Amino acid sequence: MNSSSRNTVILLVIVGFLTVSPVIMLLFGSFSRGLSVSGAFTLDKYIAAYTDPDLGEIINNTVIFVFGSSLLATLLALFLSYLNNRTDITWKFLFRIISITPMMIPHILFSVSWVLLLNPSNGIFNLILKQLFGLKNSLFNIYSLGGMILVEGLLDMPIAYLIIAPAMASFDVNLEESSRVCGANTLQTLIRITLPVLRPAILAAFILCIVRCMASFAVPSVIGMPGRIYVLATHIYRTISIGFAIDYGKAAAIGMSVLVISVILIIIYRYLTAESEKYVTISSRGYRPAVIELKRAKVPLFFVLGLLLFILIVLPVLVLVYTSLVPYSMIPSSRALSMMNLNHWREVLKDPISILSLKNSIFLGIFGATIGIILSIFVAYTIVRIKTRTSGILESLSFLSFSFPGIVIGVGFMWFFVRTPIYATIWALLIGYIATYIPYGIRPLSSAFIQIHKHLEESSRVFGAKPLTTMRRIIVPLLIPGITSGWILMATMFLRELSLSVVLARPGSEVMAVQILRFASDGLWGRLSALGIIMIVISTSLVALVTFIGIKLKP
Amino acid sequence: MKKIKLTIIIIFLLLLMGGPAIGASKVSFYANITAIEPIMEAFEAKTGIAGEYTRISTDKFLATVLTEFEAGKLLADVIQAPIPVLEMLSEKGVISSYISSVAQTYPDWTHKNGIQLFGIEYVALIYNKELVKQEDVPKRYEDLTDAKWKDKIVMANPAIHPTTISWLIGLKENVFSSEEEWMNFVKGLAANKPMFVASFGPTPAPVESGEKLIAISMPKYIITKAPAPLDWAKVAQPLLGTPRAIAVTSSAPNPDSAKAFIDYWLSDEAMSILAEDVGEYVLAPGIFPPIEGMDKAEVIAIRELSDEEIQQWGNEFKQIFAVE
Repeated sequence: MNSSSRNTVILLVIVGFLTVSPVIMLLFGSFSRGLSVSGAFTLDKYIAAYTDPDLGEIINNTVIFVFGSSLLATLLALFLSYLNNRTDITWKFLFRIISITPMMIPHILFSVSWVLLLNPSNGIFNLILKQLFGLKNSLFNIYSLGGMILVEGLLDMPIAYLIIAPAMASFDVNLEESSRVCGANTLQTLIRITLPVLRPAILAAFILCIVRCMASFAVPSVIGMPGRIYVLATHIYRTISIGFAIDYGKAAAIGMSVLVISVILIIIYRYLTAESEKYVTISSRGYRPAVIELKRAKVPLFFVLGLLLFILIVLPVLVLVYTSLVPYSMIPSSRALSMMNLNHWREVLKDPISILSLKNSIFLGIFGATIGIILSIFVAYTIVRIKTRTSGILESLSFLSFSFPGIVIGVGFMWFFVRTPIYATIWALLIGYIATYIPYGIRPLSSAFIQIHKHLEESSRVFGAKPLTTMRRIIVPLLIPGITSGWILMATMFLRELSLSVVLARPGSEVMAVQILRFASDGLWGRLSALGIIMIVISTSLVALVTFIGIKLKP
Repeated sequence: MKKIKLTIIIIFLLLLMGGPAIGASKVSFYANITAIEPIMEAFEAKTGIAGEYTRISTDKFLATVLTEFEAGKLLADVIQAPIPVLEMLSEKGVISSYISSVAQTYPDWTHKNGIQLFGIEYVALIYNKELVKQEDVPKRYEDLTDAKWKDKIVMANPAIHPTTISWLIGLKENVFSSEEEWMNFVKGLAANKPMFVASFGPTPAPVESGEKLIAISMPKYIITKAPAPLDWAKVAQPLLGTPRAIAVTSSAPNPDSAKAFIDYWLSDEAMSILAEDVGEYVLAPGIFPPIEGMDKAEVIAIRELSDEEIQQWGNEFKQIFAVE
């Protein structure tokens, strides 16, 4: 066995151990009679899950929701990353931060904000439009598939943005210049050269969004359920929630189909990007990302971008600020303004569990994301550079826990961790987070790796550098945009992670999302918003700091 | 470059030093009831025993406790959940037979082989008192079927939410004089197209904001969400709810602390905190939540429904409420 194969196998064991263990427990649970994983073998749960008469409609809704949201997320990300990375548009740093803000907001809060803006009874937007145009009925209804796609698309857009943006940033200007020399205009160059070369990143973003949408629960629950629109995640919830003896094995049986779809998507992705040499943009000849002058389009595009980001992202955040200041859920009015106070903020800041959860979440965010990104560098390298069947298995394995619906995977981890000494400690959360969200590190890094030519490594080795030295001195510096993106994706996810935390957190290891869920369960939206804003501020500071470090470290 | 590296290393060291929080544990309490921190603090102040409260939602309660118990790692000394959950756990041997002497003051029907009922998760019609005129406030449950409430009601999904399913069945068995009358009520309610949410938690917000006018919800929100303009419809019929129960676990790591905790929990002092601060309806005699008229209301504990019954009725309600 050569060293590459040996390293691949080592990574396979590490990633496999992290991601397969909970899924195996869920697999046992899905074939086990009763509520635990150790019951007698049965197929009853699969039969019950897949003979449900509602399944046809659920699948239809799920397909529209997942594809609609993923498409919206990817297209928006493409538009934003192009303007932010490739053009001379002003206020780039601010636009970059705003573009990834939705991923720092707890999904449940972002969904509630949109309900306040677009509900058909007294949504703020609808009221304004009614007054402006004398309409009798509300123009928008958030409780619809369209509403679900809008909110989920916005929530997932930063994932797509953070995968596409580094690829945009590493684009070789020579390719576009050659196109223009041959007579193509900017738009033709974009369609025929830029986008095809970025295909791995765009596909990676789209696939990651699809997988995330399938597992999403907050939007289908807060927006879909009141509109009586059920998708797979809420169908699982509806199926298992009747009664007190919740059968997570049955939920796992439904979740297995999501898992299979995810694995198929990975295989398709690998097939579509098989000839990775086509997408190399950083070679030994040097590269420099080009800035396209927008000229007369600069001001109009600035306003379009500003307005888009204000309506889609800033406004919902402002709704959160407003909600944290009013004593209860109120429509904005002079009376509401007169009643504003800081009581919710005081309650949150004097609550010792909120402070402890803040501290634990910051620890998990920074430490967990760093460990996760180090592991991701090695895994992404193996997936891209060593294209063997084993590396293909490694890529599929990395998606296992990630693609399971959130309400189930936490229980899988609990069934696994309870057999280990780290159960009920913060370390169980740390390992669970990394195992589940490792694709957030691998995806942007894989896209970045694809763009770096092998010759650079080979040159380093010719000069006598060992593989680790080559990695440290040549590869990692060139990967800085990808590392920054991956780290941000992981850290912001860990800061607001709920699915695993709600099952694994215990006294002493509480995290912010669990505290947020507590407030949500009690309907305390004011405190929820205050804690949510604290979370957004911490995440934004971290993102700004890491982006700054990334810029400084960039070769 | 060196400065940045140094800064990163310092941040890491600081995080590692102050990172994972480790707390001392004396009595561990798993509960689905919320906002009980004041009781935990009062218990610690009174006994010197530190209380650790782990909130576990009803949908994960059984899975969590059974998983830990079967692995020999149940961390809880005392557990609190709806009575059907504790009875299922009792069948698996999770519950001890400890009966608190303090419970003697409670009604006889509240003692169940080591499980002690202490409260009722009561349900009422909660409305926005600024937007609903006094003459329009329902006087009876049947008033909710009036067409004026169409698209104005919010409730937990009656196809899946066990407490709402139990409440509807409780109305059939305790309030309506015939099944036909009850079915007319259910169908009339469905015809008014209530908005469904996952549980009781999200029901008050749409009523506060005026998105909806009335909710099938819990009166405790009148206390916990004050000064929101919420009030309860003082219907002529009784209020219903599922009993809340508490028990010491058979494998309690701290059995003496567990007994001390449950004795305190059932005391008038703790029950007064629960009623006054959290708005809960408790079964300790003479203690009521400070909600106008609640001391005179008749509050009935709904019969315990088996999971099979809940599932069967959930499916039935799914059909009835699937009206367009």
